[in-house]
Amino acid sequence: MKRKLVSLAALATASALVLAGCSSSADGGTDASTDNSGKTITLWLAGGDTPDKMRDYLKSEFAEQTGATLNIQQQDWGDLVTKLTTSLPDANNTPDVAELGNTQSSTFANVGAFLDISDMYEELGGTKLLQSFVDAGMVGDKNYALPYYFGSRAVFTRSDVWAAAGVEQPTTLDEFNAGVAAINAADPLGIPDFSGFYLGGQDWRNGISWIFANDGELATVKDGTWTSTLASENSLKGLAQLQKLYKSASNAPNDAKDSNQYIYLNDSDEIKDAEGVVTSNTSLSAATIMAPTWAHLSIGTLGTDADGKATRTWDDTKNEVFALPGNDGKPAPVFAGGSNIGISAKSKNPELAKSLLTIIYSEDYQTMLGQNGLGPANSDYVDSLGDDQFAQALIESASNSKLTPAAPGWATVEGSLVMEEFFSKIEGATDLKALAKEYDEKLTPMLNGE
Amino acid sequence: MTTQNLVLGQADPPRQARPRKRGNTTPYLLVIPACGILILALGYPLVWQFVTSMQRFGLSQQFGQPPEFVWFDNYVTLFTDPYMWTVVARSLAFCLVTAAVTMAIGTLMALLMNAVHTSVRITLQISMLLAWAMPVVAAMTVWNWLIDWRRGVLNSVLTGMGLDFQNHNWLADPLSFFFVAMVIVVWMSVPFVAFSIFAGLTQVSTEVLEAAQLDGATLSQRLRFIIVPIIRPVLAIILLLQVIWDLRVFTQIRLLQDVGSIASETNLLGTYIYQLGVGSSDFAMASAVSIFVLVLTVALSWFYVRSMLKEDES
Repeated sequence: MKRKLVSLAALATASALVLAGCSSSADGGTDASTDNSGKTITLWLAGGDTPDKMRDYLKSEFAEQTGATLNIQQQDWGDLVTKLTTSLPDANNTPDVAELGNTQSSTFANVGAFLDISDMYEELGGTKLLQSFVDAGMVGDKNYALPYYFGSRAVFTRSDVWAAAGVEQPTTLDEFNAGVAAINAADPLGIPDFSGFYLGGQDWRNGISWIFANDGELATVKDGTWTSTLASENSLKGLAQLQKLYKSASNAPNDAKDSNQYIYLNDSDEIKDAEGVVTSNTSLSAATIMAPTWAHLSIGTLGTDADGKATRTWDDTKNEVFALPGNDGKPAPVFAGGSNIGISAKSKNPELAKSLLTIIYSEDYQTMLGQNGLGPANSDYVDSLGDDQFAQALIESASNSKLTPAAPGWATVEGSLVMEEFFSKIEGATDLKALAKEYDEKLTPMLNGE
Repeated sequence: MTTQNLVLGQADPPRQARPRKRGNTTPYLLVIPACGILILALGYPLVWQFVTSMQRFGLSQQFGQPPEFVWFDNYVTLFTDPYMWTVVARSLAFCLVTAAVTMAIGTLMALLMNAVHTSVRITLQISMLLAWAMPVVAAMTVWNWLIDWRRGVLNSVLTGMGLDFQNHNWLADPLSFFFVAMVIVVWMSVPFVAFSIFAGLTQVSTEVLEAAQLDGATLSQRLRFIIVPIIRPVLAIILLLQVIWDLRVFTQIRLLQDVGSIASETNLLGTYIYQLGVGSSDFAMASAVSIFVLVLTVALSWFYVRSMLKEDES
């Protein structure tokens, strides 16, 4: 008798889930009265971008709606691809739901690492979801990974240094290029190796904006075959501008990557001698940097919070943020940051994992993303970002932002550091076209996963 | 020369052969568990790696698609790739130079420890033990701070001495990158070498040295003709270990690459395999390089091990 009841309950759950899956209503949570209490699913979040209170919300909401437990594990961005590569194929160790970089999701979708969730697409937001991210998670006409949040890159400046050098905020990309070179030449504060625009030699994630802004592409696809197009006419225009910037506006080391460049805008970390006397404040060494918009949390005056942790307070008299301007009146297309989320094809609890997705794409959670400075996946809730200067810069630069090619081998390209290598050679190249061609030949087979 | 045998931990074989019973399988049974563990722990990965190196094995295979067997295709690709030979030459040069410098400094440290007063020796030993016991990642963090291009103490000191090293980036140029890497690897390996050789030195009997001194042998003559021959087995085995370790060096190079340098110009075999396998998900090619490194290591140490064994026999 008891067993019969259990199987009846199971049947009820199953049909509830099926119905929830079919219905297009947004509240697809499953019936809390069914017994999931012994079950646990695992969610991998990448990096610390999702704040603790949002994690707590997910856990409690998930427990309330399904009765099961949600276990959230944070993975480092640095070895995320490695961990996904080893864990996703293994049913016993796979996370049920995993966040990953938007540019990485096409690679994993193509090898069949994720569950086909096309049937949920409409329910989770449909065409309201950020299209370029949705595309990155698609293979053919099936959805495997959907956008989690978006970010974008903006220009952060030391407006006081710009003013001291007598350079106005630029309204076109040409003005920007000329302006940062002028600041570099003027070096108004007399700091050695000062950069008008600090752009690391290997920092391709920011550098590709100049390729995009000149209508260049990293790669194009025709009949399913990808071709690297660094040597195309438009890409070369962008590369020539970059070379000029590297030569005349940036004193960043040739091997510097896209990593914490905002520290060079701060002047309050000081070098002290043995008596605690400040000997120099060489820390400020750039008038301009580009970084994801959430970098504003690390720029400004040094202070401490209630727990004694170091904090930075944005100082409007010294700092400014704006979207990199393009030459056509629109913002320049910058590299769209952010991540996608998908259900592992090997998940043992795909129905519970689907319930988690419905919570993530609910109005409540999407609004929380915006309130925490992360661009919500669903365009209906972008307003929740607020209207401060950071939100404005994010929304403006994201309006024209671009993803790296959704090619099957893109994660391989990133993993093999070929883009880093190529960018490091731009400054010293005597023949940019030959250099670009050389790397096109390297990249094309990698893009196609050969 | 019994000291040699002592140091190598080998006793003279018993002269009298014990009477053997035929058909006694107990010893073999007793050996089975140990052999089994060895085969599982060492053999399985090796065989897997060898098989994989002859397949096409990428991310799709990792996710369950059947791999295609291509025999020696990967090796052909590998051996015709000039970059691979650049990395091999670089690794060999780095490993030989680093091992030689480590041995030289380690030997000098050991001789120093042997010569100084006990309290000084214990201070030396403790500081070297600390360097030896320091986790690599922690040590590398400190080293990275020391050589930081903007705020590193190294540049600050050199600039203070009147040299122009302000904002000098040590990692950008491959040669200075490898110099920095060598200093770090040597710093981490010297304690082991120094302790082992010091242990060897304690085996040199003072009577022999005194006798030589009475006969008028100078310090360098005593070192060259008495001390070194006596501790030669120790030196030989440590040099062999150093060469093998320095050929496979990975962590230090990898962590330095994270801070600076252009990866393709500073890859050694270890980081090259990592970049191929973990970075590019080309597990087959990474396996092929690994097998090649194994062969290279065996080749490097082959003559060495043989000559050591010969010396031992005589």
